[in-house]
Amino acid sequence: MPHAAKAAVKKSSPARHEAMQGYLFVTPYLIAFTIFTGIPFISAFVLSFLDVKFITRLDDVHFVGIKNFIRFFSSKEALAALGRSGLYTLIYVPVIMVLSFVLAYLLNKGVFWAKGIRSMFFLPYVSNMVAVAVVFQLMLGPRGPIYLLQKFFGSEDPIIPLLNQKWALPVVVLIAVWKGIGLNFLTYLGALQNVDKSQVEAAEIDGANKWQQIKNVVIPAVAPTTFFLTISSIITSLQNFTVIQSLTDGGPGQATTVMSLSIVNTAFVKYETSYAAAQALVMFAIVMVITLIQWAGQKKWADQ
Amino acid sequence: MRAKQERIIKTIITAVMVILGLICIYPFVFMLSSSFKPSGDVLSTPLQIIPSNFTLMNFETLFTNEFYDFFQWFGNTVVMTGLTLVLKFFIITITAYGFAKIQFPGRDAIFLVLLAGLMIPSDIMIMPRYIIFKNLGILNTMWSLILPAAVDVYFVFLLRQAFVAVPDALSEAARIDGCSHFTIYRRIILPLCMPQVSTMLLFSFVWSWNDYMGPYLYISDINKQMISVGIKLFASGLAQDYGAQMAGATIVLIPVIVAFFLCQKYFVEGITAGAVKG
Repeated sequence: MPHAAKAAVKKSSPARHEAMQGYLFVTPYLIAFTIFTGIPFISAFVLSFLDVKFITRLDDVHFVGIKNFIRFFSSKEALAALGRSGLYTLIYVPVIMVLSFVLAYLLNKGVFWAKGIRSMFFLPYVSNMVAVAVVFQLMLGPRGPIYLLQKFFGSEDPIIPLLNQKWALPVVVLIAVWKGIGLNFLTYLGALQNVDKSQVEAAEIDGANKWQQIKNVVIPAVAPTTFFLTISSIITSLQNFTVIQSLTDGGPGQATTVMSLSIVNTAFVKYETSYAAAQALVMFAIVMVITLIQWAGQKKWADQ
Repeated sequence: MRAKQERIIKTIITAVMVILGLICIYPFVFMLSSSFKPSGDVLSTPLQIIPSNFTLMNFETLFTNEFYDFFQWFGNTVVMTGLTLVLKFFIITITAYGFAKIQFPGRDAIFLVLLAGLMIPSDIMIMPRYIIFKNLGILNTMWSLILPAAVDVYFVFLLRQAFVAVPDALSEAARIDGCSHFTIYRRIILPLCMPQVSTMLLFSFVWSWNDYMGPYLYISDINKQMISVGIKLFASGLAQDYGAQMAGATIVLIPVIVAFFLCQKYFVEGITAGAVKG
């Protein structure tokens, strides 16, 4: 802290001195936040109503109203990408939520070697997606272990999932689930450990079977965690650029070209900055709406 | 009787969970074992876990081939991640302290604005950030990765929670003794909250090390590139050399996996404590 500033504030009241110090502590961060989050966020809105074509040419831009949005909603290609993103999320979120809950529930029931098992599920989360993508491409490729497994089970013409129009998207989603499940799993585990055991026992004494205990006691008890994880999983599922680009790069054909990939390609390959910003805003709006609906639903459910 | 039955159930669940866990880590086993096989063996003996023709040739290819400077990428990523952690440590803890322990007008309103920032998906900011980096002159430098990473609202939020939980009585006593806020931050709050700070550093390490989108979009010079983009370039450049690809993937993964096993406790506690309650 500069001594001059300290001396200057010493004359004023202690509360003012306190406030000055407060600003001193948070200002560096606030400046960085404004530059790297605040301004970009606002610029995204501005950009989407302009016609910025090339990132380096900013002197000759025009206001075009909602033209970029109209273009988006009338483009078959863009809507197809939006549809694929929707499909991706619709597979990703239920699968990761159910699996992580089941795994956490089973682990919490009591297993031998719990710490080791926990680590095995969490390991993919810390791994580098691009590096594991290289491994998966080999494993799922011709003559890889998965290919051999299909042969073993009698398949004449084994599927190469990442090169298959029908299978590429679901398989990419499953790899994303594998990669991300550790976080949801551990979060659920933390929540389950806080569930009041006496309630579960009371339900058992009342004659509730295992499934009723889970349905009526455990699931409601972890509902806040479920809410939080659902929202964060939806957001994760839409920020899938790295997963897709490293595994399939949108292929085969357009089979895995989702919104995140389309946004980056529009901006950095086709140099249509404004159109890309409009696409990103559409995604943002969708996430906001989903979050609000979830939030309202959760409130209603909690009030009952 | 009941105890015995429970033991059997526990054993069955353990067996199922171990099998699922092994499926989870199989790609890593496959990668590690393939990285020590001659490239020709990788797909001719894909199920062999202990290589029969053990070789270090792939790692040699990785570091001595004339096309790709893997070592340079690795070094860049170490420096970038290190600088990110140092910067993040200072700026996030100081900010969290300011919001947790100092009274100033507008504090809660500003904090709410920051929290709203948590909702912004990063995809929306990639183009504006490109323009800003260009104007700041940090495009195509590692600062375009370091500075945005330091603005991590999530950990400001988590650390503020941790700092608030430290009883005010402790800091009040120090205030009366004439300690400045900076002294309290350094001598009392930081040492007491080291577990949470460690969690932040660990997660930040993993995120920065694994970041792909940042270097892919903002770094164009191949010699300044980071390892995530590097491994992709390497794998497509040496498309037929499976052994070398697996060795590359192994090298990329080793630092995070080692960090994970050394500091598991902080990862696990960090996540379970960060879970929303009520």
